Amino acid sequence: MIFIPVGLIFIPILSGVIIYLFKHRYVNYLSIVAQLLVTILVIVYYVTFKESYSDTYIVFGLWDERIGISLYNDALSLSFVMLSVFIWWMVLLYTLQTKEEDYNFLFFLLFLEGVFLGLLQSNDLFNMFVFLELTTLLVTILIAFTKTGESFRAALYYLLLNTSGVLAFLLGIILIYNSFGTINVQIVGSMMSSVYDGQILIKFAFVLMLAGISVKTALFPVFTWLPRAHGVAHSAISALLSGLIVKGGIYMFLRITTMYEGASFAYHDFFFVIGGLTALIGVVFALSQKDIKQVLAYHTVSQVGIIMMGISNINQEIAYGGLLHVFNHAFFKSLLFLGAGIIVAQYGTKKIHDLRGVFKTMPFVSVFMIVGMLSITGAPFFNGFISKSVIKYGIEGNIRYWILYAVNIGTATSFLKLSQIFFGQKKQVGEKQIIVHYVPLMTLSFVCIIFGLMYIPISDGFFGIDLTYVKILKLSSFVDYGVTLLIGYMIYVFVVKKDYIFIKRLRMFNLSFDKANYLFIIYIVVMTLYFIS
Amino acid sequence: MNPLLTFLVVLIGLYGLSTSKNIIKSVFCVTITEAGVILLFLNLGNLEGGSIPIFAEGLVNIVDPLPQALMITTIVIGSTVTALALMLCIKIFHHYGSVEWDVVLRDGGEE
Repeated sequence: MIFIPVGLIFIPILSGVIIYLFKHRYVNYLSIVAQLLVTILVIVYYVTFKESYSDTYIVFGLWDERIGISLYNDALSLSFVMLSVFIWWMVLLYTLQTKEEDYNFLFFLLFLEGVFLGLLQSNDLFNMFVFLELTTLLVTILIAFTKTGESFRAALYYLLLNTSGVLAFLLGIILIYNSFGTINVQIVGSMMSSVYDGQILIKFAFVLMLAGISVKTALFPVFTWLPRAHGVAHSAISALLSGLIVKGGIYMFLRITTMYEGASFAYHDFFFVIGGLTALIGVVFALSQKDIKQVLAYHTVSQVGIIMMGISNINQEIAYGGLLHVFNHAFFKSLLFLGAGIIVAQYGTKKIHDLRGVFKTMPFVSVFMIVGMLSITGAPFFNGFISKSVIKYGIEGNIRYWILYAVNIGTATSFLKLSQIFFGQKKQVGEKQIIVHYVPLMTLSFVCIIFGLMYIPISDGFFGIDLTYVKILKLSSFVDYGVTLLIGYMIYVFVVKKDYIFIKRLRMFNLSFDKANYLFIIYIVVMTLYFIS
Repeated sequence: MNPLLTFLVVLIGLYGLSTSKNIIKSVFCVTITEAGVILLFLNLGNLEGGSIPIFAEGLVNIVDPLPQALMITTIVIGSTVTALALMLCIKIFHHYGSVEWDVVLRDGGEE
């Protein structure tokens, strides 16, 4: 059993290297074989984990556990691992072609899978840093893969901003090592309860690490890299980035805050405010955009804000809603990006007002896109509804509730705008897509509906959390959704469609790199003042 | 060297990042920040007059080997980041004819 976590990291990387070395179209199918092997290993590992809860903590090379490299798995990391493997299946099937030039792309894709699975399982802070930085490098290469000027500048912006974020994380690790003498997450977590209030260095380490993670997660002041990068990358890569890589930051947030549990810092309110701002700003920017991929990218920002509002809650049940939204968002956002990718490829344009008559031209893709849109706006019977209800649960009538409500209305407005692409006359479009492209779309829509209907057994099986209090067949949830759609439609007709001058200004808004770094430094300073005072 | 002095290097790097308008300068400001962080960690593990951390007889006051082991990895990663960033700079220069952020990021999202 001990080799499985290591295998999860090295099987994709080694098969990627082999594919790159042989450069042959038949060797490219090794990616599918490796993916199958990883899937089997994950399932075997999960089953044994469920039975005995053993072999979850591995220290390599017979070193003392305080200084050795170690891997650690629990229900949280294993659920993220399974989600990653699933999303990688979708992306691999979507990009499956039999051209020889694919070996380059597959090499980086599989390398990224190994590195990301390593990030999810690693138990010492320095390995987390190494994997974070490797993820940044590989994602940069994948963004630049379309080889246009826009993709190069987006890639460089992403690389430099994220590197400065990761350096802040490294600075935090140094302070942790200086204070505790170890960087093992488990041991630091167990020593954290003996930290008394006055130890400023440990608090400063918390600030620096979370500031670094905020850049990776694209929280409010430092989200500007995300729409840029996700808007220009290949659609499969956008799906991967929005669905999964951004969630790597959320996972790190959960890990670090769990490590600091013993010290009982009051970080919840701060990150709720940051999450709320992220959600609102993301939605406002999404409303102003005219490019289908930019709209989806800004919705990733706002949905990450909603996730942050959920998981920063001090109440564990509501925090679970945020965790559930991580999974649901991964499913419906990948679905939307992949569907948009097919539509954009066939129409040859990304502008929403040039995309018309999609429903008559591509009925299958349209049905899948509609499933994704219903999920993201939180319609009953779809998965977005469940997690949003859990987050909303218990805060009705509160100011927090109205922030969420405003974000929901904005999301509805924006997807009503996006749904205009379905209406109109049939158009003659490019060549037919191969059928294998529809498989990921079909699977993802199916999963969206399954998570919307079978949420009680799923959350009970994975996390042991009882969700029976969330009822779908309640009149109020339907009325709620209807009212949201209605207000959203009014805003669409009377504000967004008119395209006022301030919406144009918002669309032209573009933050220079030095200003983004300036905001990052201000963010660190604000966090320092908030936590150390 | 005083740890505060190395922290000053980090601050210089951050200042450069938040003010420079040139892509090449930004790349090197990231490198400077990284160098500052590495120096800070090495300083914390250093011991004045300590001996090298190897298995040998009669060594006393051995310096902490862990920061050195970790920082050699950081240096390798840092050089990779610099190499990739400079490669992207070349590509950007070919496409836009400039390495100024203002010129490159102009007409950012939409026309």
